Amino acid sequence: MPLYSRTEAETVVTTVSAQLEKSIASPPQSSATAKRPHTLIITDSDSDNDQLVRNLKPDHSSAFTFSESLSDNTNVPPSKKQKDSHFESGVDDDFQTPMKAPILQPNLLECTSDTKIIPGLNLAGRKVHPMFANKTTGQKPSSDTVATSVVENSVDNLKTEKKAADSMKAGGAPDNNINDEESGNSIDSALKLIDSSDSVASWKKNDPVPYSALCKTFDEIEATTKRGISDKIFPHGFASLAKIVVTICPEYEGKELGIGDSILMKAVANATGRSISNIKSDCDKVGDLGTVAEVSKKKQMTFGVGKILTVDKVFATLKEISGISGSSSQAKKIERINSLLVNCKGSETKFLIRSLEGKLRIGLAEKTVLVAISHASIISNIECKAWSKEKLERELESGTAILKQVLEKKKLTFHPYSELPNYDIIIPALAEHGIKKLHEICKLTPGIPLKPMLAHPTKSLTEVLDRFENINFICEFKYDGERAQIHQLEDGTINIYSRNSENLSVKYPDIMQMLPDVIAPGVTSFVLDCEAVAWDIKKKCILPFQVLSTRKRKDVAVEDIQVAVCVYVFDILYLNGKSLITETLRSRKESLKKSFFEQEGKFTFAKALEASSVDEIQTFLDESVAGNCEGLMVKTMDDGSTYEPSIRSKNWLKVKKDYLTGIGDTLDLVVIGGYFGKGKRTGWYGGFLLACYDDDSETYQSICKVATGLTEENLKQFYELFEPYKIDVPPSYYQFSDVPNIRPDVWFKPVQVWEVKAADLSISPVHHAGKGLCDPSKGISLRFPRFIRVREDKGPEQATNAEQVATMYRAQNLNSASGNVLEDDF
Amino acid sequence: MLECTIGQAATLKKILDAVKELVTDGNFDCSDAGLALQAMDNSHVALVALLLRASAFHPYRCDANLSLGINLVSLSKILKCASNDDQVSIKADSNVDSLSLTFESKSKSRPYPVITFPSNPLTNQLNPQDGARVSEYDLKLMDIDSDHLGIPDTPYEATVKMSSVEFQRICRDLRILNESIIIDVTKDGVKFSSTGDLGNGSIFIKNGQSSIDEAEEEEATTTITLASPVSLTFSLKYLCDFAKATPLSSTVTLSLSNDVPLLVEYAVPEVGHIRYYLAPKIGEDN
Repeated sequence: MPLYSRTEAETVVTTVSAQLEKSIASPPQSSATAKRPHTLIITDSDSDNDQLVRNLKPDHSSAFTFSESLSDNTNVPPSKKQKDSHFESGVDDDFQTPMKAPILQPNLLECTSDTKIIPGLNLAGRKVHPMFANKTTGQKPSSDTVATSVVENSVDNLKTEKKAADSMKAGGAPDNNINDEESGNSIDSALKLIDSSDSVASWKKNDPVPYSALCKTFDEIEATTKRGISDKIFPHGFASLAKIVVTICPEYEGKELGIGDSILMKAVANATGRSISNIKSDCDKVGDLGTVAEVSKKKQMTFGVGKILTVDKVFATLKEISGISGSSSQAKKIERINSLLVNCKGSETKFLIRSLEGKLRIGLAEKTVLVAISHASIISNIECKAWSKEKLERELESGTAILKQVLEKKKLTFHPYSELPNYDIIIPALAEHGIKKLHEICKLTPGIPLKPMLAHPTKSLTEVLDRFENINFICEFKYDGERAQIHQLEDGTINIYSRNSENLSVKYPDIMQMLPDVIAPGVTSFVLDCEAVAWDIKKKCILPFQVLSTRKRKDVAVEDIQVAVCVYVFDILYLNGKSLITETLRSRKESLKKSFFEQEGKFTFAKALEASSVDEIQTFLDESVAGNCEGLMVKTMDDGSTYEPSIRSKNWLKVKKDYLTGIGDTLDLVVIGGYFGKGKRTGWYGGFLLACYDDDSETYQSICKVATGLTEENLKQFYELFEPYKIDVPPSYYQFSDVPNIRPDVWFKPVQVWEVKAADLSISPVHHAGKGLCDPSKGISLRFPRFIRVREDKGPEQATNAEQVATMYRAQNLNSASGNVLEDDF
Repeated sequence: MLECTIGQAATLKKILDAVKELVTDGNFDCSDAGLALQAMDNSHVALVALLLRASAFHPYRCDANLSLGINLVSLSKILKCASNDDQVSIKADSNVDSLSLTFESKSKSRPYPVITFPSNPLTNQLNPQDGARVSEYDLKLMDIDSDHLGIPDTPYEATVKMSSVEFQRICRDLRILNESIIIDVTKDGVKFSSTGDLGNGSIFIKNGQSSIDEAEEEEATTTITLASPVSLTFSLKYLCDFAKATPLSSTVTLSLSNDVPLLVEYAVPEVGHIRYYLAPKIGEDN
């Protein structure tokens, strides 16, 4: 497995950010006054102590500054803001302490952290920001107010610009309803953006990016709640942001922060001088430790000698924390967290804590980040600073072209990420080579797992035939096991990854051991897509998934293995240094057969059939069901049969045996609440509230209540299981109707995913799943939901998402009544 | 080059006990005026300024200014090895990365029976005036990166001088209720109060009266100097840490001004002082 030098990547990334933001130059000092009302500075007078101190350290003594958190005036109403402006003009009437003349300390940060986007400031209705209010009241804004306004403006423009850009992208897809007017604005706003960026600054070129600038962006994104819009804001060129937003490391490196709530609470208590019990009770009330920490920090003044946090510093510390283990690791982690918390100002505290919790909750999905990164790299390429006014006007004309490019680039970026899901590699490459060449540089690499291609569910065989009319396709058994990706590197290292890019090599030592026997001579490196299935050695048949799930996950020794597995290979993505994903499935299958040998019960090619008639497929399906399989996978063989990592493609269809009744697929839903049981179920939860995950808004949307399909044993088990995950108040990222009929007796944290089957889907007045996707104001619900099993292999964020629910709903209506279809398109 | 000797190890022990809870390490600045330590706690809410005057040591010698980065927890552990009455000699040099500590028991209070071997050259070399037990320790010094703040001597709006034991007790008692304490100073007296989930409580100390029964007059008398009334909220956790300095001095002086750090000073007679600064809490509802 290749190791990537973090430092190298970091350096490049930093350069990128600096480069990307080069359009932003700054008058940092003008901002100094903003903080003043909250800055009490005690200047020197003579005392023996002071004298002593000076004797000792003449060079190092700085003013004894004492300040509260920087952005504490964010909640101050406009009137108060105006008062602040008085201070700026030097009128110190409120300043009644026996202190002598206060000293002002220029602080780069203040400009940014004092700028607060008020919630509700979005494209639809631009409310007047308190900063702007100054102008309307006839007060002359001070220089830093102007600077702030410009920041504001540019952010606003960015929003417009991004939205316009995205609606153009969406223009290709007929399903999206776009307002033409918006895309018409794009040229204009793009120009404005270039224009304003000249005077805007939050940090100097080549300086490390301050963490506060990142947090400010988070704040803005969080404040923009409207669906679809949050998807479009992005700061100028925050390439390095991606690192923090997403994860500490690529998932497959398996590094996690390993910080529990209790450690975080201790750290917060430590940094604010509060008691843990009080923080805990506040946290129960508010539901977010980040907010509690921010408020606590604001209430406790500190000696204002904090250093400015930079994104790199924060990131490096997080990385360091993830590496801490062994004795007194908890104390060490707290110590590291503290070192960051001390220097946090304003919302930095909140986002730092949330980053540590591993969840930012700002409604920013990963795909948004991808879009943003590509956008940022385009914007940064514009050498707007060097342009004359005429040139700018000329740019107006080419503005459309640029934006179009953005969209094309967006697709490009998306693709490499699926192929090479490692920001550490992609972003520096992006910076160095530009977006056009990215595709050539970032390619599939063995040792870096990619997200597997997924299949679209179907309801009937006729649907399959309709879809693949006049197309060559192949049917394969759909094995009921665990998706596995086997990588062999040129140096002979073999790794096995799960569908979530977790390293499974330790779970399947038997596969690792057997592999060398099935590789044909001459094969040096490869990536295989396969399914690991439990295998009954005596009866020589496939065992159900439940048997596989009894295997140990860690420290498996080959001798102790109770459950044998057989690997069913169905695709090859990489062979001998060459990526195969752009080749047709037919040629991939040929490569696969040439490069590997079958070994019964250990390593087999997935059973496949090139069929054409319904009868043939039906017989094959029956055969698969008889062979303990889930059903069939149907894939195009020639046209459009490239491998599309991470995409749920229509070129791959799945037909499950149980599809043929009820809705196409089962849903994997997250348990978010419980209802106390009655009658026989007294003492346990009698029913549960389930939700799907909406990755656009990062929320869980209620979809149905489930009470059937649960055995007594289940009920008992779940009662105990959810006990530690009870929460008093539903978190802000749960979407549900707060009506007596729906509100559960107990809320749970999103920890478990259940597979649920239902008769069909319907528009619901009370549930929120896929709200706005099929009906402008209503969500979708399941009819007659039934619990099937717990999906231990899925995390809550891998639950069925809102888009999938909506697609299922539409598919169902396509089959039943075509009358509804028209409505859906609106 | 620093060389100094202090008569009683107990003094140093008490001083470290009063500081080490709050700050784990810090730079001791040595000059001809004495030894000074200034350090902020890791949350930047409290600040400790410690001064041991040159006159507290006999002898005291410091030719050039030195800054010694010391882990206070480690130093405290080493000092535990000294008996309270031991004489402590401290040596440090700018080119040596450790601090040398020598504990010498006093001949009068020799804890062990004296066995002399006239033939033993070691015993013979020792000055008969010296104690029987000499222990030497070297403490590794650290590089500590700390910001040094110039602390001005500011006129405060209110100054309360009171019994340190009483102050310690108030902090301890009110901590039962909640994490913060409100200090109200008026010309009549000073009120400490706290409100929590289980209820509330307050303690009022009258100006000019002794709050301790077996008061030794002046020591325990509360005196308030007031320019204007003050009311401030503080985190009790830190105040309780400050109160660890109680054994050093029978009185404590609290100096307050609105929106300015509280100064809690323990003057150690003939030795120097410990000053604690604590940033107030703001925006508390109660």
